[in-house]
Amino acid sequence: MPLNTARNPWIPFWQAAIGVFALGLWEWGARAGILDKFFFSRPSDVASRVWQWISGGSIWPHLAVTLLEALLAFSIGVVLGVLLGFALARAPTAALLLEPYIRMFNALPRVVLAPIFLLWFGLGIWSKVALGVTVVFFIVFFNTYRGVREVDPVIVNNARMLGASESQLIRHVLVPSALTWIFSSLHISIGFAMISVVVGEYLGSSKGVGYVISQAEGVFDTTGVFAGMTVLAAVVLILGAGVERLERWLLRWKPENSPQAGERDL
Amino acid sequence: MTPAAVSLEAVTARFAGAGGKEYTAVDGVTLHIAEGAFVSIVGPSGCGKSTLLNMAAGLLPPSGGTVRIFGDALRGINRRATCMFQQEALLPWKTVLDNVTLGLKLRQPGAGKRTEELGREWLKRVGLEDFGDRFPYQLSGGMRKRVAMAQNWIVGPDILLMDEPFSALDIHTRQRMEGEILSLWSGTNKTVLFVTHDLEEAIALSDEVLVLSAGPASRLVGRYPVDLPRPRNLIDIRTEPRFADLYRAIWTDLREEVLRSYAGPPSRPAGGPRQRP
Repeated sequence: MPLNTARNPWIPFWQAAIGVFALGLWEWGARAGILDKFFFSRPSDVASRVWQWISGGSIWPHLAVTLLEALLAFSIGVVLGVLLGFALARAPTAALLLEPYIRMFNALPRVVLAPIFLLWFGLGIWSKVALGVTVVFFIVFFNTYRGVREVDPVIVNNARMLGASESQLIRHVLVPSALTWIFSSLHISIGFAMISVVVGEYLGSSKGVGYVISQAEGVFDTTGVFAGMTVLAAVVLILGAGVERLERWLLRWKPENSPQAGERDL
Repeated sequence: MTPAAVSLEAVTARFAGAGGKEYTAVDGVTLHIAEGAFVSIVGPSGCGKSTLLNMAAGLLPPSGGTVRIFGDALRGINRRATCMFQQEALLPWKTVLDNVTLGLKLRQPGAGKRTEELGREWLKRVGLEDFGDRFPYQLSGGMRKRVAMAQNWIVGPDILLMDEPFSALDIHTRQRMEGEILSLWSGTNKTVLFVTHDLEEAIALSDEVLVLSAGPASRLVGRYPVDLPRPRNLIDIRTEPRFADLYRAIWTDLREEVLRSYAGPPSRPAGGPRQRP
């Protein structure tokens, strides 16, 4: 049976099999002494650490902080990105004037901003939120800008002929068109929001999953580092699946294989 | 005398062409279309047919000359007209019913219940009563054109502008759509301005066929009243002797222009003039 068909029932099975195989290899290598336990830990140790965190409840406050930061970064970034994207798309002269600066800021690796944000906003959640916002903002901004600019002129003309005023045009045509682009970038944005706040926590904080990882690293506790990564990966996976469902519902008017928003690096 | 529904008085359309040179798409065209008439404009591709239509729609202000709608000089969008485009113009994020009722909602927001009733009525008229909750992408090309038709007619425009609306359809769907347009139009006093490159379609549908010269700087080179009796049977009309006579007469004019457009003037910018958004 060919594997690459879309709804092959064996796909989840083989997906799981790959994971089990890789973890098994790792476990076996660590037990057989091929992989040094100090540097590589062991899947079973990592699993028991994660379980310990969850059952003992020690991870929840950290996870809650990280999620709060990511959510704030995500919401603020989306609002700012949509507003500015919309404004600049409707004001071509302003867009032309600001373009080099926007490109310049977008080219900055956000990690270098983290220490500055620490200075500006302190060790609390806001320095992480700020870092996340700078990432989410640009993704959403570019998608909104593109969405508004790339509205099919025929659709705009048709709506105008049917009697749309300028504000109705924005509501019925431009916003929905831009939303397509924003929604299709939502899961990228939420993933990046998570990543950037964790990076922020990692570089200086007293709470959060990034803090947990950096603490473990500080005492050469590789099991702790891997356990932190596992928790993070699981949360991002769950969030991503949720966002994807939301996206599918919001873009239900679109045929399959809609264009994906371009991914950007941190 | 009552004023013509659409009057173009010496209208000219110029665009910024390649290399800063101006490109004149339409040069000093004058035409008057009487209320209730079905008039087609034919011409070789790139001759500015759509430009004329966009000027009548108010989507493109003429660079020179005046557009009059029922005697009044047109400023901004032509509120008494709707336009059916060659390309897909439905809002893909709205359901079929919401697309059909769009114009009503835009023109009189808050008329909720009545709007929906009217929308369902029109869906029935174009044979899509079971498709109101679908999205446009779930429909065939012909069905989408029907939705566009209902979307245009529901607002009760006095003038219907059509820009090669059926050129993307296969020949059978196309003939059916032509028949549907005629049956919607007959008995109303609506004015139709129909742009096409298909001379047969133009003759079969119209009261009058206008021939536009090859671009750039297109002019009107001929006008032919079509005296075929109505109502017309679109399936058989093409085999009637009178139809063949008209076709031959108009084609002699048109042929020359088509040949001229093949020769291709060197000053034309690649891709032709773009319509301003």
